[in-house]
Amino acid sequence: MDEEAAKTLIVETLKKKKGKTKFYLKDFYKWLPDEKNRAVKNLVNKMVREEILEYWSSGSTTLIGLKGVGKQAAAEEGDDD
Amino acid sequence: METRYQRIQKISSEIGGEIMAFISSGYNPDKPMENRITDIGPRHYEEFFPPVIKKNFGKWLYHEILEAGVLVHVAESGDEVYTVRVGAARLLTVSHIREICEIADKHCDGYLRFTTRNNVEFMVDSKDKVEPLKQDLLSRKQAGGGYKFPVGGTGAGVTNIVHTQGWVHCHTPATDASGPVKATMDVLFDEFTNMRLPAKVRVSLACCLNMCGAVHCSDIAILGYHRKPPLVDHEYLDKMCEVPLAIAACPTAAIKPSKVELPDGKTVKSVSVKEERCMFCGNCYTMCPSMPLADTEGDCIVLMVGGKISNRISMPKFSKIVVPYLPNNPPRWPEVTSTIKRIIDVYAADARKYERLGEWAERISWESFFEKCELEFTHHIIDDFRDPAYFTWRQSTQFKFT
Amino acid sequence: MELKHKTPMLDQLETGPWPSFVSDLKREAESRKTNPNGIDFQCPAEMPEDLLGVVELSYEHGRTHWKHGGIVGVFGYGGGVIGRYCDQPEMFPAVAHFHTLRINQPSSKFYTTEYLEQLMDLCERRGSGITNMHGSTGDIVFLGSHTPQLEEIFWELTHNINQDLGGSGGNLRTPSCCLSGARCEFACIDTQHICHTFTNEYQDELHRPAFPYKFKFKFDGCPNCCVASLARSDLAFIGTWRDDIRIDQEAVKAYVGGELKPNAGAHKDRDWGAFDIQKEVIDLCPTECMGWDGSKLSIDTKNCTRCMHCINTMPRALRVGQDTGVSLLCGAKAPILDGAQMGSLLVPFIKCEDPYDELKEIIEGLWDWWMEEGKNRERIGELMKRQGFQRALEAIGLKAVPQHVKEPRSNPYVFWKEEEVPGGWKRDINEFRKYHQR
Repeated sequence: MDEEAAKTLIVETLKKKKGKTKFYLKDFYKWLPDEKNRAVKNLVNKMVREEILEYWSSGSTTLIGLKGVGKQAAAEEGDDD
Repeated sequence: METRYQRIQKISSEIGGEIMAFISSGYNPDKPMENRITDIGPRHYEEFFPPVIKKNFGKWLYHEILEAGVLVHVAESGDEVYTVRVGAARLLTVSHIREICEIADKHCDGYLRFTTRNNVEFMVDSKDKVEPLKQDLLSRKQAGGGYKFPVGGTGAGVTNIVHTQGWVHCHTPATDASGPVKATMDVLFDEFTNMRLPAKVRVSLACCLNMCGAVHCSDIAILGYHRKPPLVDHEYLDKMCEVPLAIAACPTAAIKPSKVELPDGKTVKSVSVKEERCMFCGNCYTMCPSMPLADTEGDCIVLMVGGKISNRISMPKFSKIVVPYLPNNPPRWPEVTSTIKRIIDVYAADARKYERLGEWAERISWESFFEKCELEFTHHIIDDFRDPAYFTWRQSTQFKFT
Repeated sequence: MELKHKTPMLDQLETGPWPSFVSDLKREAESRKTNPNGIDFQCPAEMPEDLLGVVELSYEHGRTHWKHGGIVGVFGYGGGVIGRYCDQPEMFPAVAHFHTLRINQPSSKFYTTEYLEQLMDLCERRGSGITNMHGSTGDIVFLGSHTPQLEEIFWELTHNINQDLGGSGGNLRTPSCCLSGARCEFACIDTQHICHTFTNEYQDELHRPAFPYKFKFKFDGCPNCCVASLARSDLAFIGTWRDDIRIDQEAVKAYVGGELKPNAGAHKDRDWGAFDIQKEVIDLCPTECMGWDGSKLSIDTKNCTRCMHCINTMPRALRVGQDTGVSLLCGAKAPILDGAQMGSLLVPFIKCEDPYDELKEIIEGLWDWWMEEGKNRERIGELMKRQGFQRALEAIGLKAVPQHVKEPRSNPYVFWKEEEVPGGWKRDINEFRKYHQR
């Protein structure tokens, strides 16, 4: 799969999830089963740099979701988007 | 329209109570990748070696502890480095660290070192520089009369306590960290400045069972422990948290989605906690601020003893629970400090030279340990968590009467 | 000086001989309040005062007043920052937002005052003026800053101080090591060099999520394990050797004769009687591989398990061997969930020399296996327990040896693989029935 198609798939998959906005890296592997895990990891990290995705940390683990989406993002920065 | 970044700035200055003039470092929030430097790692350690260390790297012959807190290391070249080790709180302010720097500039040509157990080491390259350094360190006192730089923490004694954040900065602690550590070190102070125990005693503190401080292999571990499952703020939970994340956070699968009817008759989405499955870890509170678990009576301190990490003589050992509950009693936790003191005193009087606390307890038997240390044995101390529990029960007729 | 909040309980922690964090915080509070150097504080000057206030409130309540925040790091990084919010922001506005930065410490924590002063200036100007030296994993910690300052601090760190952040979350955590050759005669390996090398080699894994959960490296120079690698790291590198312990027979006699202090003087403050080499060294050797005939010390190297006791006790007479390398122990972790684990011996001995290619292959083999098979939030030690030690050996292509176990298994449930059994598992039932009736 080319990179743009993979990005689109990730964004569309994230948008479809109801009630949950943050995911483990392993979930992204599942959505792109034909890609090597390391390649998916690199793509996800690239999408963070491109401000499409963002990380969320529990301190001990790291979750990933669409930038600015989710209830906690709003609660933490007093932001309403 | 203002950017998200500008909004954050505004909020930040509002909550700060006063507007501060923002001074940019050069970072441009609209173009975060511009001139950005990343992935450079830490500074190279060799930049920070004192000359005598750099010159003799890997060529040290032997060392000796001249007195508690003072060591000499001798190199193949004949060079010597004298180290004065002092205790420190792990929480240090800029002012205190600047004073450390001032001392290092005055005596040590601007070099110093921190140990893995939060001690500070001042090094000089000749013996005549030791005494002035030591006297300078010991002369510096805090407002309340305590030492800023107590000398000690070497050899067969108690060195500094490694610990976690506690009430100073953590969201799931069952106790404070800095306070119990200060109280315990005050009580054990003479063992920090002396070397009169059978072997070294390593004390550690973790403020909850997540153990950021990994205290599970310490001679004495002070562990904060919650005893009540989380509260659930049903009215706000669905507004503040993502239910699937709260459910996934639970290591024992005790959290389930549920619909709850509020007193006003409105039904909201929330979660239910299967309370008997809760192991009080606080992971749900991390993911969901509507599930706090701190509780004044519920939270307590557990004491564990007998762990070690060194491979010396016997293999490394886990610490074992010997006191399942002591009250959280700030500001000085007297029940905790007096119990620790008693265990160390009995160990000091009874153990053989070189014997670590856990080796001693195993030699005399755990039943004798409880008897000698006057600790009550309760059912909480028998392991009942999954498979490994069986291996801690006694499959033998051999035991001691106590 | 009158501070913002009354702290009667914390004040009781200002007495006693041990350094008081309360006195220290008050000192910083006063310094920021008077601001003699005219610092343009970019975070509220009252941060230490409000921190004292919130901690006092916790002392009254017996409960924390902090909430977790999901901020992970600076832009593009998945770790290095821990988000914190106070649950009483109106009472303590200066610490309403109080995020922590982890800064990757130099290997073995030697410092120049020049470098520390640079860090302190930054912490004072853009943070709370409060640090941890050091965090549990080994980082320099700036305790408490506001969100907009995080990027500014990172910018100044990287541009002006040539210094990067450490790890947090499901990343490689900041590696740490003992001081080895810098000031220790027991060092079998150069822990600083390998720690620094691997920290730089794996910067991507340190700053961006790559794993199911956290992963820690620690490097100990000898089996005394001063940085607790075998208890506190997913992969522990412990220096060891496989040739003879070097013996200086004259120095042994000096210990026996009382001219040298045993255990490097570590027992000095108590009268334990004259040094007895038989009782204190020979009889305590766990493998009974030592002998003393009154004039000569002998060690049967083949039976030595390198526990360090004799070397620790007579450091001027005995030295570690010269054919050195590392033992690798894999899988240590704190108790959650299935109980605490120590590392299990995975590679009994391997040479440890720059550029460490074989060690990198082992690390990457373990990571590939864990990234493929590990569940979310499953440490590699838990994966080993779930799938078996053998899978870890397969991941790095190593043969099983008796050194891997304390004892052989006592249950007979060997899961033979098809290829290990002659003829495989596919059999012809009709052929079988020729000789066995239904």
